[in-house]
Amino acid sequence: MHHKRSYRWLLAVASVLLALVVVACGAKSAGPLMVLDWADYEQEVFWADFKEEHPDQEVQWTFFADDPEAFAKLQSGFYADLVHPGSSWLRVYVDAGLLEPIDTSKLDNWSGIIPSLAKAGQVDGKQYLIPWEWGYDSLLVRTDKVKEMPDSWADMWDPQYKGHVSTFDSAEANILIAATVLGYDAYNMNDTQMAAVKQKLIELKPNLLGYWTDYTEVNQQVAAGDVWLAVTWPDAWVTVSGEGVPVEYIEPKEGRLGWVYGYALTKASKNKDLALDYIDAMISVDSMTEMANQYAYGAANQAVLNNVNPEYIAAMSLDKPDVIERTQFFKPLTESQRQAWITLWDEVKAAP
Amino acid sequence: MIPPALLLLFFFVLPMLVMGSFSFRAGSFGAERQIWTLDNYRDFLASTSFQRLLLKSILVALRTSLYCVVLAYPAAYYLVFRAGAKRSTLLTLILAPAWTSFLLRILSWKMILSSEGLLSSLLLSLGLIEEGRPILLYSMNAVIVALIYSWLPFVALPIFAALQRIDKSLLEAAADLGCPPWKAFLRVTLPLSLPGVAAGFFFIFIPTLGEWVTPALVGGVDGVMYGNIIQSQFVSALNWPMGSLMSLVMLLLMLIILGALSRFAYLLPLEEAK
Repeated sequence: MHHKRSYRWLLAVASVLLALVVVACGAKSAGPLMVLDWADYEQEVFWADFKEEHPDQEVQWTFFADDPEAFAKLQSGFYADLVHPGSSWLRVYVDAGLLEPIDTSKLDNWSGIIPSLAKAGQVDGKQYLIPWEWGYDSLLVRTDKVKEMPDSWADMWDPQYKGHVSTFDSAEANILIAATVLGYDAYNMNDTQMAAVKQKLIELKPNLLGYWTDYTEVNQQVAAGDVWLAVTWPDAWVTVSGEGVPVEYIEPKEGRLGWVYGYALTKASKNKDLALDYIDAMISVDSMTEMANQYAYGAANQAVLNNVNPEYIAAMSLDKPDVIERTQFFKPLTESQRQAWITLWDEVKAAP
Repeated sequence: MIPPALLLLFFFVLPMLVMGSFSFRAGSFGAERQIWTLDNYRDFLASTSFQRLLLKSILVALRTSLYCVVLAYPAAYYLVFRAGAKRSTLLTLILAPAWTSFLLRILSWKMILSSEGLLSSLLLSLGLIEEGRPILLYSMNAVIVALIYSWLPFVALPIFAALQRIDKSLLEAAADLGCPPWKAFLRVTLPLSLPGVAAGFFFIFIPTLGEWVTPALVGGVDGVMYGNIIQSQFVSALNWPMGSLMSLVMLLLMLIILGALSRFAYLLPLEEAK
């Protein structure tokens, strides 16, 4: 009996104290800044400027493993101030009413952003995504295994590579590749063209060793000589050629595919100004230099180029504007387009 | 403490109802989730490739379970009737692989079978093949082999238990009455062990039908299973309604097959317990 009462008394005191603390803190800030991000990007070297500006501000990260997961989290009511989507997902977020347009005049580092990438972050003329990193999907080729170097996406279908091609398990990349080979505009296809793309992708199956989902696996398959042509990212070239394997990251004559990722502000955010300061820190030259040298990705800030490992510049053709010009960047898909593409891709995978 | 019925209600019936209701919804989120529709059913019925894949996956699961039973039976038989004092040691050995992570075991198999793996290098150095290549990997057969490998211990156990329960005096009686051992096996041992065989068979069939990890790891293009598409619909497409419908169809077919099989053999293991 005695125990129970003292426990209650303690609880009452504790809750009063807790309430005081909450009130005191609430006066100072609106709680921690919540960032929904890919793992690894929480390194303080990326947001050092923010730390300097707001030394006492707490930042909390929640990590996701792929785009659908991030979208599903926000859609289910998960609270975040910032999210890190790809440009092709942008319209789906905007249509669902999850994002707030960003006033770029509030970002000191905005002027350094490459204009074509900035454009990839717009929906209906409004800037929703502040680009941070970008890169390619292209063919990594085992130069010692192929008789002549492939120079087109269509070479993936060449019977002489039977069983030695691997492609990323991604509806977007493969539909864009097949549409390019067939000469269609992937983003404006009618039903007949969709059916032709599906048929074309089914015809690729005899040539495929697999659909890769884990990029360390495809690196290993290329290094082992199982895969001669792999649709993959530039960092695969860095890794595999670093092991002394003869590989080249080619540019198909139709152009490489390109992706852009960056930070977007949620409509739900209660810390909008803080969130913009965080973005501003992320797009600083120092932050992006660090990113480019850690992952061999392209940086959205043009000034970073001077600080990047020359090997990476060569892999990304960062010094060749015409290559970037030819690159087909993934465009924002609407929700119904996205569903149709993934269903098409699932049917390709299910086909005998 | 908790009545079993309540447990079933919360962890089985309710989730099933949620899944069932999702199969009639127009979308996974927001306003679309509130719209009721039969579109998913129409789309599924129209997709012959999904249906064919389901059929293929059922056949793969049936084959895997059958091979498992055929491989496990002699081992369990040996353990019960021949192993004598070594029985528990041998049983532990059969179960030992299951103590390591399933993923680790599959990855080690890939290290053995890939083109720079153990087997390929061995054949290469013996001059039996001209260049290193993946052996068996990246095919439906690879999926079946990997599934058999990982499930074998689990089918051996119920057969072992069933064989152990057999009253040895029955076999002595058969011998006394002049029945040759092979006939005693067919007429006494085998029928009495069938409940264990059936339990083992179903124990493999149920999880392998929905399998998606093994196909993703060793299946390549040819080894895609129905479970991979369900996973893709939930995780990549975020099309929970279609994913739910596909799961429901699989569940229904599974119930029908299990019902038919258990009736066919009069083997429902539960009846034996009465």
